[in-house]
Amino acid sequence: MSGHDPKPTGSATFDYKHVGSRFLGLVALAIVAYIAVGFGAWTDTKQFAFSYLFAFTFFLTICMGGLFWTLVHHAVDAEWSVVVRRQMENIASLLVVMGLLFIPLIFVAPKLWYWMTKLPGQDILLDEKWPYLTKEFFWIRAAFYFLFFAIAATWLRRNSIKQDASGSARYTLLNRKITFACLPLFAVSLTFAAIDWLMGLDYHWFSTMWGVYIFAGTALSSMCVLVLIVTALRNAGYFQNVITLEHYHIMGKLMLAFTIFWAYIGFSQYMLIWYANIPEETVYFLRRNTESWQILSTALVVGHFFVPFLMLLPNLGKKKPAFLCGMAIWILAMHLLDIYVVVLPALHKAGVVLSWLDFACLVAIGCTLAALFLKRLGDAPLWPQRDPRLPQSIALKN
Amino acid sequence: MNAVGNPTAPVYGIAAEFSCARDLYHAAEKIRDAGFEKWDVFSPFPIHGMDEAMGLKKSILGKFVFLGGLTGFLTAVTLEFGTSSFLYPLIVAGKPTNLYTVPAFFPVMFELTILLSAFTAVFGMLILNGLPRLNHQLFNWDRFKKVTEDKFFVAIEAQDPKFSSRSVRDFLESLGGQNITTIHGD
Repeated sequence: MSGHDPKPTGSATFDYKHVGSRFLGLVALAIVAYIAVGFGAWTDTKQFAFSYLFAFTFFLTICMGGLFWTLVHHAVDAEWSVVVRRQMENIASLLVVMGLLFIPLIFVAPKLWYWMTKLPGQDILLDEKWPYLTKEFFWIRAAFYFLFFAIAATWLRRNSIKQDASGSARYTLLNRKITFACLPLFAVSLTFAAIDWLMGLDYHWFSTMWGVYIFAGTALSSMCVLVLIVTALRNAGYFQNVITLEHYHIMGKLMLAFTIFWAYIGFSQYMLIWYANIPEETVYFLRRNTESWQILSTALVVGHFFVPFLMLLPNLGKKKPAFLCGMAIWILAMHLLDIYVVVLPALHKAGVVLSWLDFACLVAIGCTLAALFLKRLGDAPLWPQRDPRLPQSIALKN
Repeated sequence: MNAVGNPTAPVYGIAAEFSCARDLYHAAEKIRDAGFEKWDVFSPFPIHGMDEAMGLKKSILGKFVFLGGLTGFLTAVTLEFGTSSFLYPLIVAGKPTNLYTVPAFFPVMFELTILLSAFTAVFGMLILNGLPRLNHQLFNWDRFKKVTEDKFFVAIEAQDPKFSSRSVRDFLESLGGQNITTIHGD
């Protein structure tokens, strides 16, 4: 409403001079990490399997979150998120790579998901879960998830880029239609991927809230990554008069909302199991609330909920990019801890045992994704150039 | 100048009509800068940024809501720990009666906090707005009915310390207001 809004200035195309030789450093670091991981996989296959699953899940949740926010943008016809949508699409497009990075897990699958080593008739609880927990169905499902993720992310992004050239509103409508088909498939894929790969670490255990618990971390961590990417690009001189502090305000509010949502789901899952006190269900929390795992679980309650909740609750910080970035890094660290406490207790039952492979796998996958993300940045304009709602999105007021 | 209402009754204020939200927005900015205090704008829909254009301060309601939520939370804490942990300790399903019982008590704390916050927010908002009320002097003006349709209005109240009917009328005219009218009470 303020009459004339300043026009976007500066280039919309990413210039690799901001990265320079650091890109090669990233690739070199990834290669070194992969060699180290390969060595670790050869010497300690079991530790490698869990460390790799831990790192893989951490980055998978972030990439799935990128797809989630893109879907939400189209489904609710959002105005504010037009300017940040391309970055969400870039994060989501890495899901194709996640499909390739899943391959090492295929070779160590029986070490991770030990139900694969059981024969029919050995354990009645496993037999009860036939045919869901059979190898054939398991791999078919995994292929389906990645096929869906890859098609949805690539298709939505491609239409969005086509619109930059033609400016036709047809692509906005087309993407909305694609989104409505994708939303239920996304929910199913995320939920069952979480069940297959994380809950499946102990096939005796089950929780009906597991999918939504992983989803809560997914949406939250991805929003944090979005804040960091947008701020980095702004600091490099992009998004002038495009992304304003009002957009930060909204991203901050979403971070707060999903911090609360994560706590709500996490607590509900815990309380139901704790209160009912059925051994089959309590086994998960029993392991994570005893020995040195107890410290990490408690740290999660404080660090993943209370700290960000109290920091993000007041209005003051949400319009300060530096503050919001600090919170984003903090929450991402907590998300990492969350995934660590989900995956690793299945291996180290007696207490926390840090392994150098945990870090090596994180560096290997992280550097790969970072390098490919930089490639994606330069492939297309940094924000949708001719989206019909771009002017309203830029002129956003809370 | 036009006048509506009972001519012998005290003047409520002077109102002007605008034909679009943009004009109303800019008029509000100028009225704010002119230093008026008791005035309001009326429009068929919320206008983004209008609170800033009017120079409205942050509402005190949030503080009331916090106190309401705190009351709900403390009520739950007292009722739960007071009864089940101190006055008549109940050990159910092997659950302790000390601080570690908190997961079982959490839903009640949560719900009562939300409940009393919501009540404070709704009823506090109504009280601060002076609602419910049966009538308003502005309804004496027939044109004002268009406020729920396609017209935008500004009214500067006679209680404003800077109010004088001639200068206010000239001022509203200079802002581009149409059908400037003096509103009397009933």
